[in-house]
Amino acid sequence: MRHNQELRRELAARIYDLDAEVYRVLGSGLGRVFSGKREDRIDEMARQMCSRTENHILRSELALISNMARTVPDRAERSRLMREYNEILKQIETLPTTFGTIDILDEDLAKLNGARLSGRFQGGKHLIICIGRTYGCAGTDIGFALADKLKINYYDTEIFMEVLERLEAEQDSVQDRASFAHHQDLNKSLGNIKGRTLRDRMREFNRYHGLPTEDAVFFNQSDLLCDMAQREDFIVMGRCSDVILANNHIPHVSIFINAPFELRARRVMETDELDYKAACRLLKRLDRQHRHYYEFYTGRRWGDSVNYDLCINSASYGIEGSVELIERVINQHTRNK
Amino acid sequence: MKKFLAVVAAALLACVPVMAFSSNSGVDTAAAAMPAWLCIPFAGLLLCIAVFPLVKPVWWEEHRSWAVLLWSLLFLLPFAALNGAGAAIETALDCIANDYLSFIVLLFGLFCVAGNITLEGDLAGSPRVNVALLLFGTLLSSWVGTTGASMLMVRPLLKMNAWRKRRRHIMVFFIFLISNIGGCLTPIGDPPLLMGFARGVPFFWSLRLLPVMLLNTAVLLAVFYRVDMRNYRRDIAEGRKPDIRRPGTEIKITGLHNLLFLAMIVAAVILSGVLPTLPAFQNDRGEALGIPLFGEVELPVPVLIEAAIILLAAWLSFRTTGAEVRRANHFTWGAIKEVAVLFIGIFITMQPALMLLRDNGARLGLSQPFQMFWATGALSSFLDNTPTYLVFLTTACALGFREGIATTLGTVPPQMLMAISCGAVFMGACTYIGNAPNFMVKSISDENGIRMPSFFGYLLWSAGFLGPVFLLDALIFFR
Repeated sequence: MRHNQELRRELAARIYDLDAEVYRVLGSGLGRVFSGKREDRIDEMARQMCSRTENHILRSELALISNMARTVPDRAERSRLMREYNEILKQIETLPTTFGTIDILDEDLAKLNGARLSGRFQGGKHLIICIGRTYGCAGTDIGFALADKLKINYYDTEIFMEVLERLEAEQDSVQDRASFAHHQDLNKSLGNIKGRTLRDRMREFNRYHGLPTEDAVFFNQSDLLCDMAQREDFIVMGRCSDVILANNHIPHVSIFINAPFELRARRVMETDELDYKAACRLLKRLDRQHRHYYEFYTGRRWGDSVNYDLCINSASYGIEGSVELIERVINQHTRNK
Repeated sequence: MKKFLAVVAAALLACVPVMAFSSNSGVDTAAAAMPAWLCIPFAGLLLCIAVFPLVKPVWWEEHRSWAVLLWSLLFLLPFAALNGAGAAIETALDCIANDYLSFIVLLFGLFCVAGNITLEGDLAGSPRVNVALLLFGTLLSSWVGTTGASMLMVRPLLKMNAWRKRRRHIMVFFIFLISNIGGCLTPIGDPPLLMGFARGVPFFWSLRLLPVMLLNTAVLLAVFYRVDMRNYRRDIAEGRKPDIRRPGTEIKITGLHNLLFLAMIVAAVILSGVLPTLPAFQNDRGEALGIPLFGEVELPVPVLIEAAIILLAAWLSFRTTGAEVRRANHFTWGAIKEVAVLFIGIFITMQPALMLLRDNGARLGLSQPFQMFWATGALSSFLDNTPTYLVFLTTACALGFREGIATTLGTVPPQMLMAISCGAVFMGACTYIGNAPNFMVKSISDENGIRMPSFFGYLLWSAGFLGPVFLLDALIFFR
């Protein structure tokens, strides 16, 4: 099985490199078949090779590479690329578990390796903890206390501020939709943002490459998180960081903290000085917004336990207890490697 | 299974033109002169275009010109046996000189000129940017032609969406809107309307189609936005993102002077519609002057002038633009070659179907706008929409209406003309072969890493998205 997997990855790498080479030789700026990160595309192709339902997609994409290769004007270059293409085709035919014979998409997952926490940070990888939480469950306090205990950096709005700096944007013009940190933001409606003039909109259009502001911020946050993950250990609150890191094959521990609605409402009444009705309204609105934010950018269900390594009801353990629980899990499974 | 379905669907498709005409063939003498079975080569060629890229793509790419030759001969030889070699040569030459030549020269010119304009920058393709570009292209289509707008817009759209994985729907809606529906407002937009203009329909009369176009565009763009947003979210969820690390968007358009050559081509198209109406370009019988080729076939002088201007524009465009622009645009001859080869076969083999349509059009019993809309549209999806438009316009004019638009063919009520125009222009979007730019956009997309739907796959897209919109048109505008 391992041998087959390596063969498929090797073949996928050759396909990716051929696509890149064809694109380079053509000098085109219109896009290629396999855009995006090399490792991601190779993984995707290797998976497609052994999937009965998806292998036809890879075949079509291979044909697209040959379409592009056939348009290379230089005869010698064209023939070199087509030779490589034909060799890849031949090799695909000789694969032992070739296109479309099995249904197991991820052999690692089949062996339950991919889902195991221990061994995840081998090879000097940085410890990154992603904490998702509902408002009023003390998730922010837990994350902060945990960072203090583990002596690692804690990031929440800092990421957003750094992104604003990158984008050369003013803070007032963009909402940090992924954060609970600024209480004044929570009740702020989008009204003042909607009241922008045409000139403001044009400036934003130019600043964010034609993307909606939220999307530009999200993409920059993704880049920033991946950069930071190469440099240091840290805890990051929300921002779909668990999915961003997973998509970029960066090891991390994902945690979701929640508490019963009534208890969260009571806490919000104290911290935000609201009456019960207003607290409930605020919680419902924030839950809705965060669910929408998370699901929009990840395609996953917010708070669904299968998406996290650890889900905690903070009401059961309190802040201290939750921090200890998380620390114990991390020490047992990742630090004692 | 997929291949089997493709073959079954292709067989059904092959039967369409034959069945359409055989139902009438028993009642008239004209059909006896042109037997319905002569439509089989046309259906056969369509079948090949539909099936071979699915089952034998590499073989098809190398041998399609032979397939085109084979099917063309399969029509011409029996036709020659029935009507004489001279008639066969005349038929082939007539469609090449009068239809195919201006078709391919126009396509070639726009392909060359648009290929010399490149957009550089880091604008990222997102649903709202795509909607804005599709809307812009749709509005542009009526003023530079559907082919011109398609060639001009296809590369920027491809480039902006290069970071995305799911892009085929963008190109499908591009074909719906820019390559077809957008061209309904002026005679420059689409050749059938130019033919109408040449036969006396006022130049700006087509602006009356604005409400229909707006409705179709609004509905399709709203649907597109939802489809694109869903795919955009799926792309993001998989970790794809555009490179927007640098603040600010830099957009640079190189080769803008080519817009001048584009204007030259548009002028040539307008001239081709205007010149035949001028006495200086007419013979004693009031027909357009022509250079005799064979028998009664002539190469019309206006067509020659149009071709000369377009070729000059293309040549000037190449002379004045650096090769690096074409390189950045991934400019190759593949797409135009493919279209040139396939469409010469389509033009020749569809002649019997067009002749049957001409002979039987008036006998089809169509007298209501909605009937004209569906009949013109259904046939325009597979046949050349220009002669189809003319046949149904002639039919409508022969119905004896006394009030309406006065043309050289007779008087036609505005609603009837609207139905024929919309059917011919809009339903060209139903298949890849329905309108010239459709196949070009498909070929360019294929060459740039987008897995476009197959012939039948595209039919499903058009049935799913265009079908309900056309139904709405019929219910609101052509009852």
